Amino acid sequence: MKSFSFAVLLLAFIAVGCAHAPQVASSPASPAASLQPQPILVASTSDEVPPKPPEATVKSPQTPVNPEKGTVNNDASMDYTEEGKEEQAPTIADPIEPFNRAMFEFNDKVYFWLLKPVAQGYKAVVPEEARVSVKNFFSNLGFPARFVSCLLQADISCAATEVGRFTVNTVWGIGGLMDPASSKDLNLQKQDVDLGQTLGVWGVGQGFYIVWPLAGPSSARDSIVIPGEYFLYPPSYMSEIAPWYVWPIIRSYEEVNRTSLRIGDYEALKEAAIDPYVALRDAYVQYRWKKVKTKRGTQMEESAPGGVRMER
Amino acid sequence: MKRLFVGLSILMLFLISLPVYAGAPLDTVKANVNKVLDILRDPKIKAASAKEIKKDKLRVIYVNMFDEVELSRRSLGLNWNKLNNNQRQEFVKLFEQVLEKAYADKILAYTNEKIEFTKESVISGNLAEVRTRVITASKEIPISYRVISKDGAWKVYDVVIENVSLVQNYRTQFNDILAKNSPEQLLEILRKKVKAQ
Repeated sequence: MKSFSFAVLLLAFIAVGCAHAPQVASSPASPAASLQPQPILVASTSDEVPPKPPEATVKSPQTPVNPEKGTVNNDASMDYTEEGKEEQAPTIADPIEPFNRAMFEFNDKVYFWLLKPVAQGYKAVVPEEARVSVKNFFSNLGFPARFVSCLLQADISCAATEVGRFTVNTVWGIGGLMDPASSKDLNLQKQDVDLGQTLGVWGVGQGFYIVWPLAGPSSARDSIVIPGEYFLYPPSYMSEIAPWYVWPIIRSYEEVNRTSLRIGDYEALKEAAIDPYVALRDAYVQYRWKKVKTKRGTQMEESAPGGVRMER
Repeated sequence: MKRLFVGLSILMLFLISLPVYAGAPLDTVKANVNKVLDILRDPKIKAASAKEIKKDKLRVIYVNMFDEVELSRRSLGLNWNKLNNNQRQEFVKLFEQVLEKAYADKILAYTNEKIEFTKESVISGNLAEVRTRVITASKEIPISYRVISKDGAWKVYDVVIENVSLVQNYRTQFNDILAKNSPEQLLEILRKKVKAQ
């Protein structure tokens, strides 16, 4: 009897799995997709042309490449063809490139001559735990902007998570210095939202590329919301109760602290780049595009229960 | 009756063992990453000349782990077709050197980060993506490996760090350069970069 129910269960499992297979395969984000072996098997072991886009023939086992030696055979099938299914972030218009390049050079100098030496000195004196706490503190103050962004994106669970995080971390995390909310028990993770992204979710395009002095890479869309971000950031109101120069000092300290935790990242990007200006521009565009796409994706998933195809 | 069920069960086992094959991309990447970690953590390699020894060992893993031709081809995109065979071969070699010089030290600076392999997903046909998270004291960095199946082996053709695809980042740069320069001039730029590093 035991073995019988086992077999029935297996049968049910397979039947269910097969019935869902085509949908699952079309949704690469689904974890169940890894249970779908057919496309891989077809492409890697058989010579039959699968009912797939033409790229399958380009990368069939006959592709004349010897990966061990890294040689390239002279064959037309090595030619590059555009492939539809891959995600591709858009590029960005850069009509004010000369200005942007000048600002890029300026920010580069500010980083290497001022910000990095100060951050290195700070890093040598202050232990990492303390610097992470400072980062948490400022991150906690970013709550209003994130909360408003969640609401404007009509994402209630995002807003609720942020309220929960802010309450827990402010009360139990000593004013936000610690982050007990993202512990395993509570699992209230910081929501990756901002106002510029919200405009993107609404369908506003990124516009052109602009590099601000000190603030760095941005787009027309992400620049429009700078006043909004300013008014939703509590330290901005320091000027109401303290002299005018207190706010810039706080902002600078925040920046030094953040940099002290990321020394080497910018250097690596610059070192690896052929043209650092273009590399940074593209990294910014890819990063922002993915951030918007993730939120748009989840919203579409909620409204369309059949699963979502990856949008291009 | 019992024998029938045993037979059925074995048949079922065969059927459900097929999906296990789909775990190959993650396992391949994981095995390679673990090999890298073993070398980085190896206490037997002494400090003095450790860097060069470790770099040599990493190079061996890199060759097995990455499909450098595919990486180069995709980084150039449609511009790949403008290069003749000799130019392509030189490009692959130069590009590999640029990447090695830029990232080897970064990898060797590894201290006590923890790496989690979160999931794998099929992109299409013979392409898959393996997601990992590198967890340090102060931050978590999502790193994805995009792998392609060729001759039964999964090889990395793109690395996505914090949602920024390496291949796409270089493609934008090469597009920009090749819009104003010839392929030969691009190779000259790369030669200079390799020498300067």
